[in-house]
Amino acid sequence: MMQIPMRRFLPSAFFFLLSFFIGAQEQDSSILIDELNAYKKKDSVRVNLLVGTAESLNYSDPDEALRFVDEALTISSQIGWEKGKALALRQKGNLHYVMGVNLRALDAYQQALIISKTINDRNLESGLLGNLGNIHADMKEYDEALEKYRTYLEASKELGRRSDQIKALTNIGIIYTDMDKHDKGIAYLEKALSLSKEEENDLFIAAITNNLGLAYKGLKAYSESLDYYEDAARMAKKIDNKYIEASALNSVGKINILLGNFELAKSAGLNALEISVEIDAIEWQADSWQVLSDVYENEGKSADALMAYKRYINLRDSVLGEEKKSEITKKEMQFELERQEAEANATIQRQTLIKNMYLLAGILVAVASLIGYLLYKRKRDALAEKNIAEFNTKVAETELKALRSQMNPHFIFNSLNSISDYMSKNDVDTADEYLMKFAKLTRAILEGSEKKWITLEEDLELIKLYLEIEALRFKNKLDHSIKVDSEIDVENTLVPPLLLQPFIENSIWHGIAKKETKGNIDIEIKLEDKMLVCRVDDDGVGRKKVVGHHLEKESMGIKITKNRLDVISQLNKMKGSIDIFDKKQGLRVELKLPLKLNF
Amino acid sequence: MLKAIIIDDEQHCIDRIKKLLGPYTDALDLKASCSTNAEALQKIAQIDPDVVFLDVHLQNGTGFDLLAQIKPIEFEIVFTTAHDNYAVEAFRFSALDYLLKPIDKEAFDIAVQKIIRREGMKSASKRLEVLFQNLENKLAGSRKVAITTLEGLTFVKVDDIIRCQSDGNYTQLFLIGNKKLIATKTLKHFEEVLENHQFFRVHKSHYINILYIDKYLKGKGGYVQMSDGTHIEVAVRRKEEFLRKITK
Repeated sequence: MMQIPMRRFLPSAFFFLLSFFIGAQEQDSSILIDELNAYKKKDSVRVNLLVGTAESLNYSDPDEALRFVDEALTISSQIGWEKGKALALRQKGNLHYVMGVNLRALDAYQQALIISKTINDRNLESGLLGNLGNIHADMKEYDEALEKYRTYLEASKELGRRSDQIKALTNIGIIYTDMDKHDKGIAYLEKALSLSKEEENDLFIAAITNNLGLAYKGLKAYSESLDYYEDAARMAKKIDNKYIEASALNSVGKINILLGNFELAKSAGLNALEISVEIDAIEWQADSWQVLSDVYENEGKSADALMAYKRYINLRDSVLGEEKKSEITKKEMQFELERQEAEANATIQRQTLIKNMYLLAGILVAVASLIGYLLYKRKRDALAEKNIAEFNTKVAETELKALRSQMNPHFIFNSLNSISDYMSKNDVDTADEYLMKFAKLTRAILEGSEKKWITLEEDLELIKLYLEIEALRFKNKLDHSIKVDSEIDVENTLVPPLLLQPFIENSIWHGIAKKETKGNIDIEIKLEDKMLVCRVDDDGVGRKKVVGHHLEKESMGIKITKNRLDVISQLNKMKGSIDIFDKKQGLRVELKLPLKLNF
Repeated sequence: MLKAIIIDDEQHCIDRIKKLLGPYTDALDLKASCSTNAEALQKIAQIDPDVVFLDVHLQNGTGFDLLAQIKPIEFEIVFTTAHDNYAVEAFRFSALDYLLKPIDKEAFDIAVQKIIRREGMKSASKRLEVLFQNLENKLAGSRKVAITTLEGLTFVKVDDIIRCQSDGNYTQLFLIGNKKLIATKTLKHFEEVLENHQFFRVHKSHYINILYIDKYLKGKGGYVQMSDGTHIEVAVRRKEEFLRKITK
């Protein structure tokens, strides 16, 4: 079953797109609804019923129809019936089309088209192509419309569906006409017309003939146009299609006015008016009044002309108003649709953004925790290392202190021996002087033993005191000198207290003491490659003569010093050293230790 | 001729001072030597000496106890002690002369020559007063320390010193209340005198009171900001020890 396009909002150009809403008639809707209420099972039968009912409500209650369609869609989805889904979607498109919401209609048709392709339903597919073409045509998107119609044409040829072929051809022709490509339009329309004649489809013949009239009018071929319009009117009358008849008669009237045949125009106009009043088609009435107004004016009946013109304007305005209103509604709906789409897009974007943000936050948290852990680990390791180092330092310092305390008695007893020596020799004054210096030195050493480091200046003071004490003991047999490199800041250079003392003691006791003549102790402090080099030179008898005698005693002070130096080197991460050289005359001890500055 | 008294509970110590005084018989007249507090009080009252060599440790109490019973003290005192860090610090604080036993000839000569020149007379009573205050005062921070300036001797509470800054052979002392002193002693001297107090040598030229550090600013060695707003550099080599000290 086919229908002449029953657009709710009539296009201002008077041609008819051949549209098709297949299905039951409006009057069947109540029966269908009853049937629907009786059939509760959610299966394909109910889907068909729902779609059919919706179709029957196309014009009377599209809103209600949409609810049926939606139910059909849900059921189809639930039972996995793809064709049902496609049918429902197509009906949904139809409803939106009728309601003038082209974009929604387009959307529904597209979805249906996709499904029909997947389930390989060619009939459904070709029909949908036609529908899509109609919408694009309606939206004056001619290229798209033409493309859809052509595919539609191909499909219907392939399927051998003549009526679809005719509709495709007709619609293509109309599009071309609308695009002012009248030759092409006429060619397609005539092809459609000949096919319709073969099919003996009078409705098609009437509609196409009417469109041919419009096409020729566009070419300004008025007599041909008139012929077609008259044919169309006749044919319409024959099949009792009053829409086409009224439209065609109005067109006949307009062409006759253009041709100056006012009488003919008048009869056509009056005829058209009568029919359009009968079918309550306001737009057609307006057209009729326009024709009549022109006719009356030509007849000199200016009052009638004015009246007719007023009617024409009123009716046209009401049509236009309705059109405008629908246009506005359409625009509003389109706007709404776009807004919703934009909103949906925004939501999607927002969700994507949120998702990305969560992802980013997650990554950041992960990275931060990783960095945090690494930092923590580094700090922990460093702390552990520091603790170990501190522990080692503590151990080393304790060791040093022990060594220093070992140092003191050693020195004390050596000195006491010297004093005793004086006293036994009855030199009380010297013994007293000796004792004074010894007391002073002892005091200094006691104080110094509290300290890990003293300045070189202080240490040299002690060394000097020590040497003076020893010099006293040897009664001018011992000379000494202390030389410090000028680049050394004695006040700012730190040394472990009395590090050199054991070597000096050795030189005196085992080098000079055993010498017959006067002996010299020369102390020299130099700076070499960030090492403090302390040199003790004596011109004593040297080691060879000493070997085997006091070796054990001799090595005690040196052993202690070596141990001290080891610990100091370890603490300063810099290797110190002790070197003993045998000279031709005497001994040289060279002690190297890392330079340590106070500031 | 200055009248002198020796107070010591050990005869050999008295003998030693006597011996050391040998070269000064022209200037100093040794009037008496006492070994007990009671005897010393009596002799001091009787002789009215100009100089007293006083042992810190006496049999029945200390030399300080003895001094506490004499008012006013109108003689100069040279303290003698064998080994007493507490007393030595107190003497240093008050810039009083002291001799360590066994007495070294050199040190003795310096002290005696100073007395003969009557250098310390002017501030003697003030120094003694401060000594007693310090000995009584258990709070280290509120003890007073003698500062030798070009104008003379000044006493400053330890806690009033924000920092000391080396200035050649002099030392500038920055005190609370924006006061400043120029001492005629080296920074090293103050380091020795104040070593048992809350001071730290952060730099070759700076000896600071740790109590007045507002904050430490990190750096190679870093800086300390003192409560008077000054920024004092911390020497790189002192940083570690400094941080250990202030975080203790």
